[in-house]
Amino acid sequence: MNNVSNRRSPGKLYMFFRHNLGFLFILVWLIGFLVFRLYPFISSLIYSFSDFHLFNGTTEYGLMNYKEIFEDDKIMKSLSVTFKYTFITVPLKLAFALFIAMILNYKVKGVNLFRTAYYIPSILGGSVAIAVLWKALFRDDGLINSMLRIFGLEGINWLSDPKYALFIISLLRVWQFGSAMVLFLAALKGVPADLYEAATIDGASKPRQFFSITLPLITPVVFYNLVTQLCQAFQEFNGPYIITQGGPRNATTLFSLLIYKRAFQMNEMGMASAMAWVLFTIVTILSIIAFISQKYWVYYGDEK
Amino acid sequence: MIKIKKIMAAVLSIALVGAFTSCSGDEGASSESKSGNTSVSDSENKGGEKEENSGEDVTIKISWWGGDARHEATQNAINAFMEENENINVEVQFGAWDGWEDAMSTSLYAGTAPDINQINWNWISNYSADGSKFLDMNTMSEHFDLSNYSEEALNQCVVADELQAIPVAMTGRIFYWNKTAFENAGISVPTSLEELYAAGQTFKEVLGDDYYPLALGEYDRTILFIYYLESVYGKAWVEDGKLNYTAEEIATGLEFMNELEDKHVIPSIPTIIGDGAASLDKNPKWMEGKYAGIFEWDSSATKFASALNEGQEFVVGDYFKDFGKHQGGFTKVSLAFAISENTKHPEECAKLLEFLLNSEEGTAIMAAERGIPLSKSALKTCTDGGLLNEVVAEANSKVLEWAKFPLDTQFENSKLKGNPDGVYYDVFGGLSYDEYSVEKAAEILVEGVTEVLEG
Repeated sequence: MNNVSNRRSPGKLYMFFRHNLGFLFILVWLIGFLVFRLYPFISSLIYSFSDFHLFNGTTEYGLMNYKEIFEDDKIMKSLSVTFKYTFITVPLKLAFALFIAMILNYKVKGVNLFRTAYYIPSILGGSVAIAVLWKALFRDDGLINSMLRIFGLEGINWLSDPKYALFIISLLRVWQFGSAMVLFLAALKGVPADLYEAATIDGASKPRQFFSITLPLITPVVFYNLVTQLCQAFQEFNGPYIITQGGPRNATTLFSLLIYKRAFQMNEMGMASAMAWVLFTIVTILSIIAFISQKYWVYYGDEK
Repeated sequence: MIKIKKIMAAVLSIALVGAFTSCSGDEGASSESKSGNTSVSDSENKGGEKEENSGEDVTIKISWWGGDARHEATQNAINAFMEENENINVEVQFGAWDGWEDAMSTSLYAGTAPDINQINWNWISNYSADGSKFLDMNTMSEHFDLSNYSEEALNQCVVADELQAIPVAMTGRIFYWNKTAFENAGISVPTSLEELYAAGQTFKEVLGDDYYPLALGEYDRTILFIYYLESVYGKAWVEDGKLNYTAEEIATGLEFMNELEDKHVIPSIPTIIGDGAASLDKNPKWMEGKYAGIFEWDSSATKFASALNEGQEFVVGDYFKDFGKHQGGFTKVSLAFAISENTKHPEECAKLLEFLLNSEEGTAIMAAERGIPLSKSALKTCTDGGLLNEVVAEANSKVLEWAKFPLDTQFENSKLKGNPDGVYYDVFGGLSYDEYSVEKAAEILVEGVTEVLEG
């Protein structure tokens, strides 16, 4: 009895993990999440309400950053450019990915090779080398203009004309449709063949079959791709940073580029944090709208 | 079919192994050169000898930016230093300029910057206005010979009453010409504004529409514009922390820039952007001689000269006396070396700097890779040893002889110099794109510069 009473009682931490063994297994992830995700997330929210400058410190707290965001013409222009970029890129990318996925869904010879070939840009697309190559393709005496001139057409100032520069940046992202395509391909394979057979017997044309059978049945994947591509597009950085540096005349200064410049070139961390939170709020609102709208257009097979 | 699959699998496996081995080979090479592992292993090899040393073994780290030639010279000099000082192990961190300041400013704030850093002159006032980031070099005078530098040069690095860095060289902008391109147009390189205007027309008529005697990006235009204004009005751009020019005076300078474009002297900004080159020295039109002149830092001569295609002669130009009644143009410290305030080994750092910047052995290896040295002993070593690049030396002496105006530390503030949203880029880009009138551009420039100066 004495031995038992003299034994040290187990520590609180030990007892906690003893009763919640799951926490022990996710402990490494949990520490990483707290240090690298939650802490920056909360601290950036606090910074966003201050004029925190890396080398001048903080002198003021308040809503001034948020006020400035909506009053500063350059920031508002950048926001509008980001919206334009997103609304060009996302629909084009989804349409293109679906189109190619439908072609690759046919049983043709060497289809696996084509699937790989179309997926490769997704792996390479974000790299610096591709962005540099893109710039070389679209410069005044680049490959694209040289080809246009072969056909007797006048070359276009792709990089220096504010009207076209954003399109060039968007095209780079659209070209990386591989991951969306693979998901569409998987979804298309899941559409039961007997539905097409029945529709063919009833005399439905191919376009009718696409809009009445294929598209409704793959809407969950369309929805998933829409949300993920939307988030990615709003955060685009590499393309404009390497190809145009945000120019010409700020025509490709996407919001994330401006956040980077404010944070690491001007050292205005308070302002940069506020801009990041505005971007986060916009993406969140659009995602919520997408989630709410899905009950009107997304078909889940397990629903009654 | 199975056989084909097996062959395919074998080929892919070999390719995969090849890819991995080539990747790891590259990685080894880059880590060796990037992190200075060469130097670490050098000192490790001498482990036996180290014990004989009376000094305590220390490791210090030095950082710099630049091109390959500078990297090689500095690494060689550091290796020579480590051979002489076996108890001091030097780690290195270096790279290209692009994005360098972004990374360094963050590490300076976080207190994780290397012990010694190559810095831009304005970093002192931008990042250490209170003297909290860089060590006062006056406290290291026992280990670093300050008498090698003129008081005037050292004063450029005094902020908060502390000598926060050692200036390496002075620099200023000057014209450089591709003499061969001018000869192709049947004229000699211009020595006055009048000749430059005439060259614009000659280039267009003789060589073609896409040939220009001079090429200037937005920031180059800003500096030439200030050189012009200082020549006309005889006063510094900024004095006592205030903009020294009225909007009307500024407008005359902007009109001058418009005239250069109108008279086919310089290509428009859209043309230069359309070239798709990261900088003028990487622009094929400069390499081929379609752009035949630049207005650049004297220390950049080698970079631009070596970019030219073979058979083209690169020469240093003269300042134009017909810009105005005064001698316009400014000089600044091209770069400096500073010791981090929080280093644990300040004496060893000072010793390394003394070797790199003042000692005969060190400066003979470093040569003029960072411009014509301000250190008297380094200059003597380079001159006696014939280590100075003739073009750079000629340009530097012309700059120091001509350009007398000072430069305000806020001139290179990122709100002004940032590309493409800085004020300079906005103003000169807007003018070239015909988005702004001269009056509007002058108003934006006055407003932007004043805002930065007032903090």
